[in-house]
Amino acid sequence: MTEFLTWLEGTALAVWTRESPSLWAYPTILTLHTVGLGIVVGANAVVDLRLLGFSPRIPFPALRPLFRFVWWAFALNAATGVLLFMADATTKAKQPIFYLKLTFIGLALWNTMLSKRVIVEEREPLERERLSRSRRLAVVSLLLWTGAITAGRLMAYL
Amino acid sequence: MDALVAWLQATTLSRMVVQSLWIWPFCETIHFVGLGLVIGVAGFFDLRLIGFMKRVPVSAAKELMPFAVWGFLLNLTTGIVFVVGHPEQYAHNSAFVAKMGFLLLAGLNAVLFEWMVSAQVVDLGAGDETPAMAKVIGTLSLVSWFAVLYCGRMLPFIGNAF
Repeated sequence: MTEFLTWLEGTALAVWTRESPSLWAYPTILTLHTVGLGIVVGANAVVDLRLLGFSPRIPFPALRPLFRFVWWAFALNAATGVLLFMADATTKAKQPIFYLKLTFIGLALWNTMLSKRVIVEEREPLERERLSRSRRLAVVSLLLWTGAITAGRLMAYL
Repeated sequence: MDALVAWLQATTLSRMVVQSLWIWPFCETIHFVGLGLVIGVAGFFDLRLIGFMKRVPVSAAKELMPFAVWGFLLNLTTGIVFVVGHPEQYAHNSAFVAKMGFLLLAGLNAVLFEWMVSAQVVDLGAGDETPAMAKVIGTLSLVSWFAVLYCGRMLPFIGNAF
């Protein structure tokens, strides 16, 4: 495993990401990762707020296009995330907080898929049972994304 | 400017930030959460102004905007902690100047929206097309908020912050 990580860190792509003085290397990759974060978490937050019952005049299915933004922005963050990991693989692979971050993201995306089903399929007005389910999805989503952000930020400190 | 930096560095808040191991990462985390709220909620309203998601009544999209304002207040508060904590990082930092410029632009754009466009679009319902001025303001808002984010993330690279 260590050999693989060392090899990964030594690839031309990883060296460029880490060592190039160009603003297009590490700084831009990191910034794109933050742009993706804003879109993924932001679009999810809008869905969550609606699921919680805010702005009730927004029809659930009208929010469907937001999920496309989520998947594209997530693809951007997966790609930039791989580059950021490669640039510093041996260190990052040893950080427990990194695995916690990945776990939060995995669970949060799963939750997003469940929320999407509610958004796309629900006919209003919701019955009481469905209503409590959508609220639960929203609360879990907000907690998981906040957890992912916190773990990601702490990677720079722990 | 350097006198201001020295004065800020002497404040109790600044000393606390410098001495504490956790205040900085804690505020950074909140700053990122606030970023998500601003980009998500304001971006959603901007997209409706531009002409996406037309099935959402404009006033219903606007109803979520207080959450963007809360997100902004989180970021204003934590941002002040950063500047007071380490003013020397921002005093001569061109990325910081650019970030403040784009923030000002986003703010003026919001004033312009309330002043010129709000009354025309607030009654637009599902399926209604927004006027050209609303599309311009929505685009300008999106561009300026992403520019704020870009300059913020570039603070350590173009400038000298960490």
